[in-house]
Amino acid sequence: MASTAAARTAAGAAKVVKPIFSRDLDEAKRRVRELYRAWYREIPHTVSIFQLDITNRQGRDKLREMFNQNKHVTDPRVIDMLVIKSKMELEETIKVWKQKTHVMRYFKETEEPRPTDFLSKFYQGHDP
Amino acid sequence: MAASLVRFVRGGLGRSIHVVRNSCLLQQQARLQSSTTENRPTVRPSDAVTHNKLAAFGEYVAEIMPKYIQQVQVTCYNELELMIHPDGVIPVLTFLKDHTNAQFRNMIDLTAVDVPTRQNRFEIVYNFLSLRYNSRIRVKTYTDELTPVDSAVPVHKAANWYEREVWDMFGVFFANHPDLRRILTDYGFEGHPFRKDFPLSGYVEVRYDDEVKRMVAEPVELSQEFRKFDLNTPWEVFPAYREPKEAAPKLEAGDQAPEKK
Amino acid sequence: MKHAALITIPLQRPTTLNPTTGLVGLAVSHNPHERLRVLYTKILASLQTMPQDAAYRKYTEQLVSERYNHVKTEPNVEELEKKLNCGQIEEIIFQAECELALSRKMSQWKAWEPLIEEPPANQWKWPI
Repeated sequence: MASTAAARTAAGAAKVVKPIFSRDLDEAKRRVRELYRAWYREIPHTVSIFQLDITNRQGRDKLREMFNQNKHVTDPRVIDMLVIKSKMELEETIKVWKQKTHVMRYFKETEEPRPTDFLSKFYQGHDP
Repeated sequence: MAASLVRFVRGGLGRSIHVVRNSCLLQQQARLQSSTTENRPTVRPSDAVTHNKLAAFGEYVAEIMPKYIQQVQVTCYNELELMIHPDGVIPVLTFLKDHTNAQFRNMIDLTAVDVPTRQNRFEIVYNFLSLRYNSRIRVKTYTDELTPVDSAVPVHKAANWYEREVWDMFGVFFANHPDLRRILTDYGFEGHPFRKDFPLSGYVEVRYDDEVKRMVAEPVELSQEFRKFDLNTPWEVFPAYREPKEAAPKLEAGDQAPEKK
Repeated sequence: MKHAALITIPLQRPTTLNPTTGLVGLAVSHNPHERLRVLYTKILASLQTMPQDAAYRKYTEQLVSERYNHVKTEPNVEELEKKLNCGQIEEIIFQAECELALSRKMSQWKAWEPLIEEPPANQWKWPI
């Protein structure tokens, strides 16, 4: 979604765009670090309040993984947008608007890996 | 006046306002004139008085705020529409609210339209009602996925939840909104469902899992693809923009006729 | 309620005893002429800061001075309401307050300047 707009802005590089919050990449990176710290500190509370069956270590590994998923993003506006969305999620977690199921959704426990070869697709009964 | 839509487009340097009618409207005009007999179909009678009144008010606003208003038009159903630059949201809305000759104090609706082919794919639409003059107006502006629009909350308190809805459904970010967060989707939901590129079946399906004793969300897995639907309705959606039906291609003498089924 | 009062004691009722406007949040003004005079003078002064040919200045000056003349010439409040024909006198005061706030903001925005940016091609074309 954001990538198409990013591609467009890259095409018309001369055009001055309206920043969301950050004026350059450094500022955007600073916001990301702040967000990471906030999540990092929140994890022990989350684990105890929601009574999750995970350790703090597991939670922090997951946090790191989620941040690493977007490490290729370089447009400060896209970064800002991701930070905004993540901040909203953090608020929902801190204020316990979420329930256990929403928090555990990050871990994707019940998802089975998609079959890749012919035989396991055949065993599963249908071809998704 | 049979022309159902008149546009005022700003022209070059001068303040002069051109009246542009596009071709399909002329067709419609011709159609209306040709069927003035008794057995003509039931069409909405054109209300020239209201139309001219709205057009005059539109010109008035456009003259006062030339900095922000890009285009003014009165639609065929006598609705006044102002097309404004996204920077002018606060000024134009404040003007419409506070000016003695406008007094559009009630925000009726705020929503967005997604047209992915445009450079600025989202249209933000504001609808207002003036109780004093019993009149309505529509203000439109545009943005894309990453450009923030100024929030209308400082002007109209009613905009608060509408903007949350637009944020949730379309992903348009409103700058200076006091409380921007999701309003309709579930916590942990990803994506913006009213965008045209959001799939009809969504990304996840939710079920209760007996092993972990809670709801789980998994990537959607359809055993059958959605069928292709014929989306051409038998009713006319845009009667004002009627286009001629394409005639069947004529066959040259030597060509084979297409097979009949 | 004001209208109920109008029916029972028509026309002899002094306006100073008008108990209520009948509108929530709009208190009765005991000195409407003075209040309107102050507001209209302020609006006109605020309009002086705009350029002569600004359409907003032109139209608002015309509108306000017309109302101001009525206020100056008509001492009776009910007659004045009839002449202004825009609701009760308290509503007219409210409109003047809004207009004053707006005129100050207008000179900040400089809305009489030429268009800041043309819309992208086909932005307003419908149907696409």
